[in-house]
Amino acid sequence: MATETARRRNTLRNAAIFLVLWEVIGDLRLVADGALPSPSAILIALWRDLADYPPHILATFEGAFAGFVIGNLVAVLAGILFAVSPVAARLGRGLNIALFALPPIAISPILVLTFSGMTPRIVLAAIGCYFVTMSATITGISQTDRRMLDVVRAYGGSRWKELRLVEIRAALPAILAGLRVAAPAAVLGSILAEFGGGGRFGLGAYLIGSLGRADPGRLWGIGLAATGMALIAYGICALIEARITHSTRAVNIAATAPGEERETRPVTDTLIALGSFALPFAIWWLLLKLMGTPEMIAKTPAGVVDYLFLAPSAPGAQSRLLAALAETLPMTIIGMAAGLAFAFLLALASVVRPGIVRGFMPIALVTQTMPLVALTPLLVLMLGRGPSVILWITISVTFFPAFVTLAQGLSMVTRGALDVVKAYGASPMTQLRLVSIPASLPWLFTATRLAVPRALLGVMIAEWLATGTGLGNLLNQSRGYLDYGMIWTVAVASVLLAVIFYQIVLIIERRVLRSYGMRPAD
Amino acid sequence: MSDSSGIRLENVSRAFKGRDTIVQALDNVSLDCPAGSFTALIGPSGCGKSTMLRLALGLDRPDSGTITVSGRDPAEAARAGLTGVAFQDAALMPWRNVADNIALPLDVLGRKRAEHAGTITDLIELVGLTGFEKALPGELSGGMRQRVAIARSLVTSPQVLFLDEPFGALDQILRRQMNLELQRIWIKSRATTLLVTHGIDEAVFLADRVVVMQSRPGRIGRVVDIPLERPRRPEIFTAPEFHALQDEVAEALDGH
Amino acid sequence: MNLSVNRRHFMGLMGAAASMPLMERAGFAADPFTFQASWINDAEFAGYFLAADKGYYADEGLELTYLSGGPDVIPESTIIAGKADLTLTTPDTTIKAIVDQGAPFKIIGAQYQKNPIGIVSLAKNPINEPKDLIGKTLAVPPVNVISVEAMLKISGVDRNEVNIVPYAYDPTPLIKGEIDASLDFTTNVPFTIEQAGEKATSFLLYDYGYTTFNDTVVVTEETLASKRKEIVAFLKASRMGWEENFKDPAASPPQFADSWFKGTGRSVENEIYFNTAQKPLMEAEGGIFAMSEEAIEANIKALAEVGISAKREHFDTTILEEL
Ligand SMILES: Nc1ncnc2c1ncn2[C@@H]1O[C@H](COP(=O)(O)OP(=O)(O)OP(=O)(O)O)[C@@H](O)[C@H]1O
Ligand SMILES: [Mg+2]
Repeated sequence: MATETARRRNTLRNAAIFLVLWEVIGDLRLVADGALPSPSAILIALWRDLADYPPHILATFEGAFAGFVIGNLVAVLAGILFAVSPVAARLGRGLNIALFALPPIAISPILVLTFSGMTPRIVLAAIGCYFVTMSATITGISQTDRRMLDVVRAYGGSRWKELRLVEIRAALPAILAGLRVAAPAAVLGSILAEFGGGGRFGLGAYLIGSLGRADPGRLWGIGLAATGMALIAYGICALIEARITHSTRAVNIAATAPGEERETRPVTDTLIALGSFALPFAIWWLLLKLMGTPEMIAKTPAGVVDYLFLAPSAPGAQSRLLAALAETLPMTIIGMAAGLAFAFLLALASVVRPGIVRGFMPIALVTQTMPLVALTPLLVLMLGRGPSVILWITISVTFFPAFVTLAQGLSMVTRGALDVVKAYGASPMTQLRLVSIPASLPWLFTATRLAVPRALLGVMIAEWLATGTGLGNLLNQSRGYLDYGMIWTVAVASVLLAVIFYQIVLIIERRVLRSYGMRPAD
Repeated sequence: MSDSSGIRLENVSRAFKGRDTIVQALDNVSLDCPAGSFTALIGPSGCGKSTMLRLALGLDRPDSGTITVSGRDPAEAARAGLTGVAFQDAALMPWRNVADNIALPLDVLGRKRAEHAGTITDLIELVGLTGFEKALPGELSGGMRQRVAIARSLVTSPQVLFLDEPFGALDQILRRQMNLELQRIWIKSRATTLLVTHGIDEAVFLADRVVVMQSRPGRIGRVVDIPLERPRRPEIFTAPEFHALQDEVAEALDGH
Repeated sequence: MNLSVNRRHFMGLMGAAASMPLMERAGFAADPFTFQASWINDAEFAGYFLAADKGYYADEGLELTYLSGGPDVIPESTIIAGKADLTLTTPDTTIKAIVDQGAPFKIIGAQYQKNPIGIVSLAKNPINEPKDLIGKTLAVPPVNVISVEAMLKISGVDRNEVNIVPYAYDPTPLIKGEIDASLDFTTNVPFTIEQAGEKATSFLLYDYGYTTFNDTVVVTEETLASKRKEIVAFLKASRMGWEENFKDPAASPPQFADSWFKGTGRSVENEIYFNTAQKPLMEAEGGIFAMSEEAIEANIKALAEVGISAKREHFDTTILEEL
């Protein structure tokens, strides 16, 4: 395969050019006065510290792997349940987004307090995987070609048969794409819990010990080790996916029927919406009761209401919260738009110029696995402590899941549809414009929904680490002051905001897709 | 019971709500296909032929009217494994190879595939795909995929067979050949068959009756009986009585 | 060194996120006691490590479980949740929690007589006193902002004239000059800065009016009542460990290199620097952990400056008397 080897050579060449550039920049201390070390400096540091790594890598692997398996298993099962039962899907929506939007900096102390040993790491890693894989499963199942289902139904196949023979298999590429995103998320989740949790082994524990050394080579070495782990998991998923997608690629254009208007039943609908809203609160309350966390630390929903509205200190708490929101909200919207735009351009580029994007993937993975706290010095040195550092951090937190989702959408465009325009000599750009982009519209919306809660998280992280403003700072400060009421309030506020943004996107999505005669990707 | 494996539609209507229009796909349609009969359904594109099939397969529900297959509710008949179907587009599963795609109905109905291994080999041979057992649909031509779908429709030896333009993507010679094969299979099995086709010659050659539909709203225009002897031989395509019947159907199609 | 660490041993090392039940001597029915440290294993806790290694806790009849700390470990939360019996805290947050939320804490001792946090800057751009901060950028962990504000107020510096940004554990921005100074443990960061080829200057907040303890020894009132014997035993053994440790601050860190300090990624030289620098901040007339009436008075006064109304009753010196 001449073209295949040529493609490989190109990718390798691009990677080589990139590494040489980085080396020069690092050696000449061109970026941030040498705070960005050259690849050789990182490798030297890695070699110097080699003896330190094995127990840390092993510990992180254990946490990340267990979290990856548990989180994804739950996610796939939940995804199937939600795909099968629209009522369950609508009921579970609030809980799902809440899980996705939970800021790790808010829940990590609570996890560390309530669990011991590996459990906080596994939980955080599993939470990191859950939403992406769950959404991917729903998307995959709901995008199944209806005609294949008709065949099964025509033979009286039960719902279970439809799932087993068609939908789960048809959803596999989407699920695997989800797993690809989940892999770095699991590694990062475990590392974040290690970082703060007081354990002695794990790359996160190594990181917190190393941060005070002002040794960028060490920090990048740790980042590299984390990325290496994620990369292996990512690669395995990508390989399986490539094999499966090859045989799954639909042969004909899927003209899925838009489906008739669902009957609106005002009473039931309102009840379900209320249930969806109440479920996270109920589970929150139940978990606290079950685990018996002391009341002073673990605020129940009622406790938060009391703190924010009834207690004598409520007006003060309210004004602090509102001031923080006023700083955080505008940046969130800008950051979300920027992150999505970046993901979209990257996904398009991966169709038009796959070589460059493949070369970029390792860097993209670094941004997903490298805890931002390790990059903060570099970022503030390069970008200062203003809006631009918030924007960049938000983009880096946002773009990856959106990118993978979009690229997945673009790759699922059916051969038949592309052939029609190719037959008229359409250039790759024209193919994109006429076929790929419109056909992947449902995925664009899925990506947007993935990006929304992440954007809020990104802004909060930047505020916490670099600018000292907004919700992120409020959260960090409350942690220090043992202001448990405020910790829970910020967590609830951020989750509620994410849910609101999510709902807005959902409404727009319904409108737009209906007018294109498409089904939403879940 | 005389209609033990017949298809019966009584005053069936089905409308689709589009984005801003309502399409009356079927308007008060009644049709009775007795057990063991062969009915061809012909009509302009979009007149509701596929819709009628989907209703009879229990894939869709009518707005009004009743449908029975073998005297039962269509969905029930399907679950009992009485029906076989080949859709207008092959609708193969891209990840299953030819043999596995043909075996799909067995998997759905929970029948043992091993017991039908011979049937599958025979069907592959019947549709001329010997040697392609292990090929994936993506590696087949359009006509080959359609032949896989036809083989799949026969794998359960159905009592009631629904065929939606099964030979649409085949060349004329192969099509004739398949017509002969279908007639042979039908005579042997006596499955009640409902064939949707755009080919007047095909309809006249295969059917006991040709039902001519009209569109907007979808309804039955005329029913032309085909009193030709069976088995019909290929020579019949040139016989004068065959031409007379073809002309009659064509006239009905034109709305006379 | 034993390279063939078997898996069970390794899991034991990691065990329960570094909870290390320390061996008990045969024949004793030792009382279990859990200590939550306030940070990861470094020289800040050298005395406890030494006491454990020398068997002082076992001698006092304790079976000690040592829990390492970290950024997400909130020491006060750990003792409220009953995960630990005793912990080390910063006095301002503990007393704020008592006053604002009625938390049932008692401060029963103080590891640092003088709070080691201070303003660290580069010698080539020195910040020698609070007034020098005017017009400068200072990185402060958000938790400590009120302490800095108190110090500025006491020194008559307008808070709005100092640009305060968050500090996230890494001194690189200071070394590179992105910020002019940062708030950190003066026992620790200057070493790193010197390693990076710069000279550091620092002063303690304590010396400019913010006269607080740090690493205050805190228990809940309930534990104080129910486990008094164990608390006394713990402090006795720990005091012995610290005294032993300070006989030669350079001697103990190397002993922990392959045990307590394994995997922290910090160098032994760093720990020796730390251990040496903290000695004068910890030693007290009444012995390690002492809280003299004057010192308590000074704490109450300093905390009043940041609006925390500490009272004498928040400090309980009766345990110290029993040592
Ligand atoms: N799921 C659906 N939603 C909306 N409209 C539909 C749907 N299915 C069919 N229709 C409409 O119903 C009418 C009949 O469609 P049907 O597929 O039955 O036609 P047909 O007779 O099989 O045509 P052809 O010969 O082209 O296959 C068409 O106007 C079509 O637009
Ligand atoms: Mg049709």
